[in-house]
Amino acid sequence: MAKKITGPQMIVANRLLDGRVVFMRADGSWSTVAGDAGTAEDEGGVAALETLAQKSAHANEVLSIEVIEATIRDGKPFPAHMKFAMQATGPSVRTDLGYQVSPNWER
Amino acid sequence: MYAYDKYDHAITNARVAEFRDQVERRVKGELTEEEFRPLRLMNGLYLQLHAYMLRVAIPYGTLSANQMRRLAHIARKYDKGYGHFTTRQNIQYNWPKLSETPDILQELAEVEMHAIQTSGNCIRNTTTDQFAGATADEVADPRPYAELIRQWSTFHPEFSFLPRKFKIAITGAALDRAAVKWHDIGLILKKNDAGEIGFEVLVGGGMGRTPVIGKTINEFVHERDLLSYLEAILRVYNEQGRRDNKYKARIKILAEDLGAEEYARQTNEEWARIKDQPLDVPAEEAARIKSFFRAPPLPVLPDDVPAVDELEKKNFLFKAWVKNNTNPHKVPGHVNLTISLKPHGGIPGDATAEQMDLVAALADEYSQSEIRVSHEQNLILPHVAKKDLPAIWADLDEVGLGTANVGLLTDIIACPGLDYCSLANARSIPLAQAITERFDDIKRLQDIGPLKIKISGCINSCGHHHAGHIGILGVDRKGEENYQLLLGGSGAEDASKAAILGPGFDEHGIIDAVEKVVAVYLGEREDGEEFLAAYRRLGPAVFKEAVYGAR
Repeated sequence: MAKKITGPQMIVANRLLDGRVVFMRADGSWSTVAGDAGTAEDEGGVAALETLAQKSAHANEVLSIEVIEATIRDGKPFPAHMKFAMQATGPSVRTDLGYQVSPNWER
Repeated sequence: MYAYDKYDHAITNARVAEFRDQVERRVKGELTEEEFRPLRLMNGLYLQLHAYMLRVAIPYGTLSANQMRRLAHIARKYDKGYGHFTTRQNIQYNWPKLSETPDILQELAEVEMHAIQTSGNCIRNTTTDQFAGATADEVADPRPYAELIRQWSTFHPEFSFLPRKFKIAITGAALDRAAVKWHDIGLILKKNDAGEIGFEVLVGGGMGRTPVIGKTINEFVHERDLLSYLEAILRVYNEQGRRDNKYKARIKILAEDLGAEEYARQTNEEWARIKDQPLDVPAEEAARIKSFFRAPPLPVLPDDVPAVDELEKKNFLFKAWVKNNTNPHKVPGHVNLTISLKPHGGIPGDATAEQMDLVAALADEYSQSEIRVSHEQNLILPHVAKKDLPAIWADLDEVGLGTANVGLLTDIIACPGLDYCSLANARSIPLAQAITERFDDIKRLQDIGPLKIKISGCINSCGHHHAGHIGILGVDRKGEENYQLLLGGSGAEDASKAAILGPGFDEHGIIDAVEKVVAVYLGEREDGEEFLAAYRRLGPAVFKEAVYGAR
């Protein structure tokens, strides 16, 4: 049964080739910055985001798609739950690794 | 150490080629993720929170210096410069790319390593005593039997799709350093009255959401019958283990349902059908495998080494390190040296590529090129002459590997927790760091004495909290990390299940609670009484009162 939507939702996934965490923009493209994510607050909007994400998964760009709750910080979405917040930043015990270093920390 | 024969090389190389092809097909889109997932898991490749994670098997925790150097090279070239040694004596890399994984597996195959069966519902890496073949207190070296099990279980067609994963551990010593009673099958090497070697066999141990201590189903299985007896146990499980519910699929549930006596009866019934068949290892093959594990030719040396005594007088930390981090070797004048991967404030089990390289170099120079990994997430140089301890200590201390805390309160097992793991509900590592910082005084730690803290970030119990003298379990309480405190567990020969003391705490409260528990112990202990013995004598009430009394 689908979870009741009580606030803004966003989509997170992992890139197929390197497994890195990505957040889906409103146009279906992917960003390493959580704040770039498109959000939806109703069933229809969330379903539309999911359809876009599934299309990307079928195109073998990403895997492990999840619709997650977002909080809005300074006008930008960020994962509400700690687990997904960890994905948006990197390990709390290795602040030299992950997106907390920079959105393109590997490049 | 065991050296691959042509069959080992052939199957390992074939698997690398096969996986390379599978990855290419996945990337091209010829395989969907649904099709590919079981294939990557069969090669130890998981998807975790931030990236893929590759778990590499270290058979029974035994590594050569060359293999360790290769692990360091992989950390440097394909990962982020470090690896994480696990409670199953394996190593995990946290940041490999899917596209580079076949190259990593090729690099491993070149040094006779692989990631086969490090995931999936199959027989996993057999674990054993980290001091195997080198300790003064063992009946026989468990490694040849572990190797035999490796060969039997690798690609075993009947046991590739068991109801759930399956873990076997062996100890050759009366002091159980391999937590055998917590495994699906636990094997304890014994001699019978005729002086023949065999195994006491336990079945149905396991942690997870239903912790169970294994029960003995056979007091003595002759070494010649080991594989046929294991096969019989697995057949009973494979046929009757539950496949309808993931949480009830481990052998412990079946063994509890049937009872030890009935499990033994059914095993014996199956065993009667397959005993004395091709699974009996020919004597010459058994001898061939054993020949790889011959004890190195170490000279008998004096146990008293003046240079060590002098440095002990001058340097308290060195003295503590010798006391806490060495175990008696079977050859006089030598020790098994444990290198703590638990620096205070550090991440339990992590080692940088540079640290791995140093350990490899030390193994070459001082330990017959041999290294072990313990299930308590430390590294061991098994064959060290006492006279070399000052030189080794100096080298280790320089790179942060000289912590003198083995077996003490800060020698903590912790799972990766929510910092890395997609299954976790709470973080584990920061607790380990906070506890080790709170207790960052070797004198105080030595006064407290042997005390094992084990931390899991979810009910799957990878951090062995059920077996902790003090166990900590992280849970998610309405979106917040919350930690339950458990007391009285043991993973040793006196195995016991830890019990929850009371309501959980936040991340600060749990550290204070640990401190209160320790204070009760220090106040109540009798002369020479260790923490676990004191807890067993006192019971939980006095600890509960100290921890929750003021609430």
